[in-house]
Amino acid sequence: MRGIVAHFRELDALCSAIEDLKKERFTKVTVYTPTPRHEIDHAVDPPRSGVRKFTLIGALAGATFGYWIAVWTSEYWPLVVGGKAFGSWIPYTIIAFEMMVLIGALSTVAGMFVLSRIPRLVQTVGYDPRFSGGDFGIWIEDAPERLPAAEALVRKHGASEVRGEA
Amino acid sequence: MASMADPLPPARPNIPSAGVQLPAVLTYEQVDREIGETLNPTKAWFGGLALAVLCLLIGLGAFTYQLYYGLGVAGYEPPVMWGVYIITFVFWVGIGHAGTLISAILYLFRAGFRTTIYRVSEAMTVFAVMTAGLFPILHTGRPWKAFWLIPYPHWRLIWSNFKSPLVWDVFAISTYLTISTTFLYMGLIPDIAALRDRETNPVRRRVLGVLSMGWRNSEREWRHFTRMYLFLAAFATPLVLSVHSVVSFDFAMALTPGWHTTIFAPYFVAGAIFSGFAMVWTIAIPMRKWFRLQHYITLNQLDATAKVVLLTSMIVGSAYLIEFFIAWYGGVKVEQQYFWNRVFGQWHWAAWIMLTCNMILPLSLFSQQLRRNPTWLFILSLFINLGMWFERFVIVVPGLSHEYEPWQWAGYTPTWVDLGILLGSFGWFFMWFLLFVKQFPVMAISEVKEIIPPRMRNAATAGGGHH
Repeated sequence: MRGIVAHFRELDALCSAIEDLKKERFTKVTVYTPTPRHEIDHAVDPPRSGVRKFTLIGALAGATFGYWIAVWTSEYWPLVVGGKAFGSWIPYTIIAFEMMVLIGALSTVAGMFVLSRIPRLVQTVGYDPRFSGGDFGIWIEDAPERLPAAEALVRKHGASEVRGEA
Repeated sequence: MASMADPLPPARPNIPSAGVQLPAVLTYEQVDREIGETLNPTKAWFGGLALAVLCLLIGLGAFTYQLYYGLGVAGYEPPVMWGVYIITFVFWVGIGHAGTLISAILYLFRAGFRTTIYRVSEAMTVFAVMTAGLFPILHTGRPWKAFWLIPYPHWRLIWSNFKSPLVWDVFAISTYLTISTTFLYMGLIPDIAALRDRETNPVRRRVLGVLSMGWRNSEREWRHFTRMYLFLAAFATPLVLSVHSVVSFDFAMALTPGWHTTIFAPYFVAGAIFSGFAMVWTIAIPMRKWFRLQHYITLNQLDATAKVVLLTSMIVGSAYLIEFFIAWYGGVKVEQQYFWNRVFGQWHWAAWIMLTCNMILPLSLFSQQLRRNPTWLFILSLFINLGMWFERFVIVVPGLSHEYEPWQWAGYTPTWVDLGILLGSFGWFFMWFLLFVKQFPVMAISEVKEIIPPRMRNAATAGGGHH
């Protein structure tokens, strides 16, 4: 057996089970919730999301590209109008801004995909369709000899259903 | 259902509080069931879709006629070379803005009343911008050459003119469409996963599985998702302000009387939000009745949106008055005559439709009783939609028809082709919208669950929703 899937009907039962699993050093634990809850964040205490790095890099790259394409094309085919400068940063700020938003937002989405490891082709192991409905859940992976202890722990905290998965 | 809908409000409801706002929605299963039921097509839905497709076909017929005979059939007469197409372009871009305001700006401000209306608003944004984007292309007369606006390497080494407001428009509108679509789709992913998990038809389940990208509701996914959503909202907020500012620059960069003014950007943005909220009412008020969602889109939420409409109406009304004041105070004869001609001359009928619908009728929203009356809000929304289309008419046509010299003074009458394409745009918009509401949930299931207190074993720890 590869691990166990536990269902919880109540949020506080789930959170106390997560905290105990951490104390008992079960490290490969995946928590499922139909909606984001801060109580779960506090129980899991995960590292901060790294999405912001993708956002910053994308936004800076987008703004740079926006200014660059506008300035470069103006210099490449110079049109002399009243002796004014070819490259004119004030109107080009609009292009730079739009490109900053476009590339920044798309790289934010790409960051979420990379860090969440989606798109995922196979998602049947360690999951239950009820986790997108009304149930909270935990998927615990560990050595087979440790799994009975994990099962006893989640049952103690009020798991409504526990099943093993190969 | 009647007993669940809209319990009697306190005299002064605390509308935007982040606490429990849906007293008649109790469990996650209830949310799944009731929102899921909206996906079953009804006779009214088929009727609406048929009407929308009919309008679209009329528009396509008019467009085909124009393609064959040329842009001359569209009612343009020098000097009025902008007409219904540009007016309708600005109208639809404006409609889109409320969607982003509700989904992004109100998200950043943690305004709880947005939760149950943001999905329809965001979908409305995407379809409105899709509609708006067609009009500059129609207006060019040679739509097959529209790609010239996009900067791409070319054998003649000529690039777009980045100092032109038309090119700014291309960047602003295409970015807006891309980001709005992304924002809508990202918000849909957890809901598509919920539909996938309940679907019994294997083909449909597979399609939903692909669209949900294998989303599993894990804590890890939610952690990155909520960050991503926050940053998308943070990008969409200045974007939405920039888009209508850029649209206003199409006018403000010209020297035409009535157009060349620095007030245009905030004036257009406020007008866009005003008209967009009206369209949200036009869509959401019948929807809450037909889908029996009165306990999700409650009177408190309608009341809160009515306050936004009242505020933006007063901003737009102030802008109308400031335009007049500056024309008088600036002492420029051409400007003064333009504004006089707008309200008391040739275009008085259009200007008074605008002033009545946008400035006078919304003042009724000072009454709490009317703010909480969905029938009145729906009727008012139709007036505001009409008034905001005429606002753009009043900006575009009187300006061009009354420039500096008497030989530049003329009239403008739209032809059946203009009006057919205008009708077709409504058909196009509502067709997409109706198709959307039968394929995807009209409310964000996961976000509605977020504002419902979760089930607790120990009642003492209950409460304290998402913050």
